[in-house]
Amino acid sequence: MTFDDAVKKSIKQFLKGKLLKDTAALKPDGVFFTPEYFDDLEEELLDEKTDSTIEKEEELEDEA
Amino acid sequence: MRLNAPIPGANYLSDTRNYAWHRPPDIVDYDEAVSYLIDKIDEPEKKELVFAMLGIDAHITTIVTTILLQAVSKGKIGIDLAILCAGPLARYIEISAKDVDIKYEMGIEDKDRVAITPTLLKISLGMSIDDPEEQATGDIEQSMVQEAANRGLMSMPEPSDMVASPEEQAAMLGEVTEEEPEDELS
Repeated sequence: MTFDDAVKKSIKQFLKGKLLKDTAALKPDGVFFTPEYFDDLEEELLDEKTDSTIEKEEELEDEA
Repeated sequence: MRLNAPIPGANYLSDTRNYAWHRPPDIVDYDEAVSYLIDKIDEPEKKELVFAMLGIDAHITTIVTTILLQAVSKGKIGIDLAILCAGPLARYIEISAKDVDIKYEMGIEDKDRVAITPTLLKISLGMSIDDPEEQATGDIEQSMVQEAANRGLMSMPEPSDMVASPEEQAAMLGEVTEEEPEDELS
């Protein structure tokens, strides 16, 4: 696997919302730059809901 | 017996400070590394460069790879931490591009991949194709391949292709009467 392939794979995993479990375990407060952080940032900057936020809201509505 | 090899322990004496990536990296913390890379992108010159690259249809993955390799070559972050930082960095560039309405492509989709179809599978396994349309297409392709294999691209054309038409022959022999140019003034 080349560096390019590793970068692509890493980006894919991050966009799927996968967390850095082992890295987070090393820090008591967890990692700061999570997929959720970027979703919130996008919402703040663009004033529009992200796909993941819409999905979460739909899930909550279904549960209710 | 002489051996053309370094003596044991030579690695402890050699100068390993030649390249930045030979030394321990400056940043080893994930959050610190992402923060450093985001700050780098936010610099006006870097931001211009990133947007210009997006403008020439460069994929975000390509931009991320370039930025990460730069950071690794400067000894700022290790190569494994660089791979971990790729996701947040790509996401940040995506948000920035959306913010300024620049068209972007992430570059993680595999568009060049050839889709595996039943026909392709049959051809690759050497099986016969039952569909008459596909059979006809296959026959044409096969005859073209066969012809190319027999003749080659640079081979001499067939004798029938080499004979000029009667009009061409007449023109070559000068038997064609030239049309007199019309005098526009008359």
